[in-house]
Amino acid sequence: MAHIPDGLLSLPVLAGGWVATGGLAAWSLRRLREETIPTTAVMAAVFFSVSLVAVPVGPSSVHLLLAGLMGLMIGPLTVPAVMVGLALQALMFGFGGLLSLGVNTLNIALPGVVAGLLLGPLVGRAAPARAAVLAALGAALAVLATGGGVALALALSSPDYLPSARVLLLTYLPLMAAEALITGFAVHFLKRVRPEALAGGDRP
Amino acid sequence: MSRALLLALALLLASAMPAAAHRLKLFATVEDGAITGYAFFIGGGRPQGSTIVIRDGAGTEVFRTVTDDEGRFAWTPAGPDRFTVTVDARDGHAAETVLEAERFGAAPPSRSPAPAGTPTAPPPSTSEAAMVEAAVDRAVARQIRPLLEAYDAAEGRARFNDVMGGIGMIIGLAGMALWASARRRKDR
Repeated sequence: MAHIPDGLLSLPVLAGGWVATGGLAAWSLRRLREETIPTTAVMAAVFFSVSLVAVPVGPSSVHLLLAGLMGLMIGPLTVPAVMVGLALQALMFGFGGLLSLGVNTLNIALPGVVAGLLLGPLVGRAAPARAAVLAALGAALAVLATGGGVALALALSSPDYLPSARVLLLTYLPLMAAEALITGFAVHFLKRVRPEALAGGDRP
Repeated sequence: MSRALLLALALLLASAMPAAAHRLKLFATVEDGAITGYAFFIGGGRPQGSTIVIRDGAGTEVFRTVTDDEGRFAWTPAGPDRFTVTVDARDGHAAETVLEAERFGAAPPSRSPAPAGTPTAPPPSTSEAAMVEAAVDRAVARQIRPLLEAYDAAEGRARFNDVMGGIGMIIGLAGMALWASARRRKDR
């Protein structure tokens, strides 16, 4: 899944991942305002705990990422939130690794940020039901992009590690469905109760 | 408001599930001179058709196979050595485990070279001792296997305390950020 451990990726891929993640984190942290700190921390905590719970699916097991929901709620601040969550998981549970932290953060957070930037304005204007459908679609596509990013990082490192399409379909299709469902319900709920929570980190 | 309560309740129930970390691990042990084991995901599932590679102490590949439907594999080496077993599930998961040479105690009696050509038969006590040692090795291996399996399975499990510790650390980071931003505002 999305936590690539140390020792699989080649040096250029690791370095590239760190440079890109570092740049994105620096760019998004400049947007960190006092009002958005608590939401970012809450989303980091949610990501940290939710992606620890793995559900067995077929020969593998999957866990939620919620990058799409994060992108809609905190926008580019998804990058530092995911980075903190992944760093803690690597240090405490040996999930992923510190060397591959850059690549893993990029794979998980970037699709969420893009989904938030593209769909955020649409979701902000739409009625709750329509917003939920849009958000569900965005979440599913973000999972797909994460899977693509993992496959790309592995393929760039060594053709030996190119994931088999069967394994990818088996793990990412159920995850896409689950993420779409949960993100859809969460956005529908937020849209009716606290629409300002979907401002993508740009709380006035 | 009741919907909000329901959602909170659902989230609480979801988080009360036993937190099972998602990570590929490899269990390997020595039984009767053979390396047996299986690959498994913490949190459930055994990868099928994953590549198992066994390397000897010098780092050269000595055996390669794929896991069966239950994620298992087995191989009998020619003799004791420091073997490194690796598994690659081909989806970005890999794991490795090392079996030290000491784990290969007495070689099975069938493989011990028969002292042929000696005029006097070897003292019966030597072969008897070897047989006893092999039998004890087998019995001990059979008995401690569940223990080793349980230890490997428990090692990667995310415990409630660990998760709470991580969340506490995130709250601390948020506090630090708020403190820094409050200072910055005061300086202005």
